[in-house]
Amino acid sequence: MSSEDTTTRSYGRVHGAAIERTVASRDSGRGVEDHTETVDYKMVTFSLGGKDYGIDIMNVKEIAKFHTFTYVPNAPPFVRGVYNLRGDIISIIDLRLMFNLPAEQKDDDQPEDGLIIRMEDHMLGVIVDNVARVVGISRRAIQPPHPIFADINLKYISGVVEHENRLYIILDVERIFDRDGGVSQRPDSDHFERDTRRVGQFDEGFPAHAAEPDAVTQSRASGDERQIDFEFVRETLATFAGFYASEVNRQWLIRRFEDWRKERESANRDVQLASTEDAEMFLEPFYSPSTNAFWSEQYVRRFASILPAAEHPSAFTAWNIGCGKGFETYSLALTLRDALPETRLKIWANDNDLLSVSTAPNLVFSAGVVPESFKRYIVAGRNGYSFSQEIRDLIVFEYHDVTNPSAVPEMDLIVVRDVLSFMPVDDQQAVIERIGEKAKPGAIVVLGENEHMPVPEIWEPVEQAPNGVYRKVE
Amino acid sequence: MRVEYINPFVESAYSVIREVLNVEVKRGELYLKSSSIPVLGVAAIVGLAGDVEGRVLFDMSRESALNVANDMLKSMDMDQIDSLNDMGRATITELANMITGQAVTKLHNLGFKFDLTPPAIFTGDNMEVSDPGVEALIVPMEIPQGKIEINVAIRERT
Repeated sequence: MSSEDTTTRSYGRVHGAAIERTVASRDSGRGVEDHTETVDYKMVTFSLGGKDYGIDIMNVKEIAKFHTFTYVPNAPPFVRGVYNLRGDIISIIDLRLMFNLPAEQKDDDQPEDGLIIRMEDHMLGVIVDNVARVVGISRRAIQPPHPIFADINLKYISGVVEHENRLYIILDVERIFDRDGGVSQRPDSDHFERDTRRVGQFDEGFPAHAAEPDAVTQSRASGDERQIDFEFVRETLATFAGFYASEVNRQWLIRRFEDWRKERESANRDVQLASTEDAEMFLEPFYSPSTNAFWSEQYVRRFASILPAAEHPSAFTAWNIGCGKGFETYSLALTLRDALPETRLKIWANDNDLLSVSTAPNLVFSAGVVPESFKRYIVAGRNGYSFSQEIRDLIVFEYHDVTNPSAVPEMDLIVVRDVLSFMPVDDQQAVIERIGEKAKPGAIVVLGENEHMPVPEIWEPVEQAPNGVYRKVE
Repeated sequence: MRVEYINPFVESAYSVIREVLNVEVKRGELYLKSSSIPVLGVAAIVGLAGDVEGRVLFDMSRESALNVANDMLKSMDMDQIDSLNDMGRATITELANMITGQAVTKLHNLGFKFDLTPPAIFTGDNMEVSDPGVEALIVPMEIPQGKIEINVAIRERT
């Protein structure tokens, strides 16, 4: 997170007083012609009491689902409580109650849709009916509010804009949530500073977002629209599926986004992700073969081919990070057993999901799901089949969070398929470092087939192996 | 922490507290932690050695400790105490010993060999515990006398 220097002049906020009212935007700021305008203002849109609203994307830290928040006694009715956002305690404000708009009552266990708003020195969460999408518009198309939008006090509205035949009311969050209750009097230079910080949060090496303000303002609206969609998809993948875009999965994400865009556009559906189902659909091609199942014969052969072939070491250690219920770990154990029959094997497997990993040591399954070559290692039990003690003794299953220190010894093989991408970016970095520490020189690391090792100095891709297989440089 | 170790500790804590204090025990979600953890005020610690190395810590506020000690003393028809004196501390230590002892017995039956060290008790304000290099499993327990947090930090000998 270090692109503090990103320039953002084109993203300055819109102030009520500074809205350009050009003849052109009043006369032609409708429908199709809007697209030929340059996109220099992006807003996150959502609905409140059935109407469409927008907030400057510079004020939006992320899109969130609020699950459980703590009620605060004696707070105004629109303060629904406080929420723990990864360690930061933020207030949750229901915008509908604040503006006396009709609000649908959700059950306590139902998550509320909302946004995390970032202001100069604090953050807060707002609850809305539902978050729609990110929309890019031209600042010139924004018009001052008309008194007819009297649902919300005029001083909280920085303008209205029409986009694709919908009228959006743009809220000025700085004024709404100004702690002094007054209109903010800060000079413009402050705003620029704040905006710079805001964009600094986007980074992660995905270029073209805001690196060149000139290029952005000059680019045609359609290209920019795509960029907005891409950013939105990235953000919502984290919200809906816990998938964090980074160098590890960047190449896949860019490729997949192009395919997804074409798929959705030809099906005449929205490119942006609106739900967990959308996110899962987007991620479907991401997962490596035989996820959450025993490995197929074919995958076992492929995997065996990356193991050190000629020499049979006397001892071999493997680490399976994110082992889940253990399907992957047992498959790995059996593949290694067959490939290295004389070797003393030891496999450490861990997961931070207590429920899954608790069932792993005594995994029970039906015979049909096991590939033929594994069959000689299974034994029938009362509830189904399980693996023989000989195999189970090879594995130590641990309830362990891999972002915490680990006492495992140095490893010859580390299998961490499709795990890194589901950790926040900082954690990905920490885990990659830990993997580097725990890997012996020459050790093999297996990432997901759509993942890449972002630190190439100590890792080299293994030739003729599937994607995501690396060797630690000796 | 090795999956097989978790249940013996959780079950022993649950059953010992329930039997000794004769109360309903509510168990919170288990979780892992590696950064330093604040200690509520009274902490009894039992070391483990053998197949693993580490320690188990029983942590509660001074008030909860006093309530627990008094209830244990009452069940043995002994005099009540009004501050956490030697008798109170010995009582809490004994509870820690019972829980850990039962867990280790269960683990022994599963084929894991653990030894206990004599328990120690710490009291004070603003204390923290940290175990560099070891991840701790936290088992929160809630009883009418207050909250007890059981903090198990052990690692395999390699």
